[in-house]
Amino acid sequence: MLAIAGFYIVANIAIGNARDGLRVIGHDAGPQVLATGDLYFALSDMDSQVANVLLTGREHDLGTRQQALNSYNQDRVKADRAAMQAAELSASNPIDQATVRSVLDGLGRYEQLASRAMVLNEQANHPAGPPPGNVIAVYRQATDLMKLELLPQAYNLTLEGGATVREVYAAKRAAVLSSRLWVALTGLAAIAALAGLQFFVALRFRRLVNPALAFATLGLIVVSLGAVRLLSGEAEQLQAAKTGGFDSILTMSRAQAISNSLHADESRFLLDPGRADTYSLAYLDKSQTVLYVPSGNLGEYDTGLNAAMKAYHANPRTVSFLGFYGDEARAHPGPAVTAVLSRFQQFQADDQRIRRLAKSGDTRQATTLLTGRTAGSSSYDFNQYNKAVVALIGLHRGTFDQAIRTGDRELGRSILGNWAALLPLATLGAVILVLVGVRARLKEYR
Amino acid sequence: MNRVRATACSRAMAAALLALAISLSACSAAGPPSIVGEQSLRIGVKADQPGLGLRLPDGRFAGFDVDVARYVAAKLGVRPDHITFVPVTSATRETALENGSVDMVFATYSITPERETKVTFGGPYYVAHQDTMVRRDETAIRNVHDLKGKRLCAVAGSNSWKRVTQELNIAATLVPATSYSECVAMLLDRRVDAVSTDDLILAGFAAHEGSAVRIVNAPFSDERYGIGIKQGDLAACEAVNRAVSAMYLDGTAAALLHKWFGQTGLQLDTHVPQFEGCG
Repeated sequence: MLAIAGFYIVANIAIGNARDGLRVIGHDAGPQVLATGDLYFALSDMDSQVANVLLTGREHDLGTRQQALNSYNQDRVKADRAAMQAAELSASNPIDQATVRSVLDGLGRYEQLASRAMVLNEQANHPAGPPPGNVIAVYRQATDLMKLELLPQAYNLTLEGGATVREVYAAKRAAVLSSRLWVALTGLAAIAALAGLQFFVALRFRRLVNPALAFATLGLIVVSLGAVRLLSGEAEQLQAAKTGGFDSILTMSRAQAISNSLHADESRFLLDPGRADTYSLAYLDKSQTVLYVPSGNLGEYDTGLNAAMKAYHANPRTVSFLGFYGDEARAHPGPAVTAVLSRFQQFQADDQRIRRLAKSGDTRQATTLLTGRTAGSSSYDFNQYNKAVVALIGLHRGTFDQAIRTGDRELGRSILGNWAALLPLATLGAVILVLVGVRARLKEYR
Repeated sequence: MNRVRATACSRAMAAALLALAISLSACSAAGPPSIVGEQSLRIGVKADQPGLGLRLPDGRFAGFDVDVARYVAAKLGVRPDHITFVPVTSATRETALENGSVDMVFATYSITPERETKVTFGGPYYVAHQDTMVRRDETAIRNVHDLKGKRLCAVAGSNSWKRVTQELNIAATLVPATSYSECVAMLLDRRVDAVSTDDLILAGFAAHEGSAVRIVNAPFSDERYGIGIKQGDLAACEAVNRAVSAMYLDGTAAALLHKWFGQTGLQLDTHVPQFEGCG
């Protein structure tokens, strides 16, 4: 009896570990990373689009100001939706929920400042290029609010989700694996105890087989084997979801966030000459975070990037660069990451041209190149680059979802349906059978 | 006889089950070695930067970095008397972490992509901005671009002079030094024309030197002050990030910033910075 109870307790804890792991990684912190990543992207892109609108000034046809406005409005809707989703997912975490609320409050203030900057910009009626000082002053308030309050909160939520997944994965996978051994041992002990009882009854009462006891033993063998198999499968799915999907989703979400913020720095560099140095240096730092090649300034970065890409395209195994894309290209080589790298290189080449034009004093041409929506202009090429990143995230998302689905399905599938229901039923059945078997013999003895 | 054996057996069984339940619920994740869970910590700080990390005559350390380090260590469960502060310089920070002579570094340590190839950074716990300090009578230097052709102090291991001469490509003449306190002495002795580094560092020296020097107030970069951790210690990185979040949430960050820099006239930002992320 005790042996059967022991098996039941151990198997229950083990399956609980697997279920908790899948829940947090697959349905809680994992999706939270995606939702807050979307939130960051929408917020950061709003600020880029406002900068683009301000830069085009009265030349409405130049670089299609209307398209920037449309993107801004779409981003607002996306930000709201992502924030709602993040709030839902963090229902169990009051601190995270407060953070999401604080982002939404800040977003309201941001929209007010951005509208004011755009109205003042209309009134200023300036040619393409940096707007007058009063517009820049209001835009600075807006962009500082975005950079110092809203974006850090969104990004830190993404990171916190990533940290939770890492911790839960390490703990739960280890627990599932160690408890698998215990399930096997207690299962064996229970089976041995039943076999011993069978032997004892046979010897004592001179019956070859006690049918009830035999059924109980057989049932326990099947359930133990099933439980061990299940736990092995769950550990595998946890690993597939984490290292095959989630790690790259997190890396690429961060790369996407930082890329979008460096794209915004490019616009701000043209828009606000008083802070041009700050924005250039931030652009360099962020470029190196995304894809690191040793370089002291943007010119050297460009040279280093082109050399690294040349080597990579000649042989995709030569990953001579570090940063997010270095990790990704080493972990998951393939056409999807190559597409991202090529688009990134194109975007950086556009940036070099914009900076050369700006340096030569041709801010009008630089603005056209920055805000244009045709191939060869920065906004267009950035969109292409971002699409490649989204495609790569989608690829990893597929692996992740598949692993979580398989893990969930296995937990819900056994001969009798859900494991949570099967386990107590099977244990109870075995206990009853043992009682029945022993009682029949005891009666005879009396 | 049989019953005795049965009781003994069930007792052993119960004990085994108890042990099992404990071993199953204890989720000690086997991972790479981490400073999380250590009872005592050695923390690298600057010894010569007033307001940030300064060794007092009695040997104790004081400053914003030191206070932040104490707060974070407390959140990691380390008692104040179990913290050993170890002086580091700009040039020794990476090696001190690599060879294990310190566990963490809080020393106006800007997160840069290059340093991230050697060190894991928690935080940033503050974002400072690089600015330029000159002698009071200097009128020709109004922003960083005016440093062209001027003598600029270059501290070994610091990133600040690289920002000027490499990243912004401004042709200043570099004069080597080992610390910012040496730079300030050289500025007063007219051996350099300018000291360019983070506004928090400059503000501390400006308060110290009184009217002999002046900050030009033309900031040109974002310097994210990170918490240096031995590369790969993700558990520590995540733990210090949570501590920094808590420091901003509970108002300690704002209080410490005002305590150390409230008199400087600097615009202080009391919102939690965007973290760099671990690993």
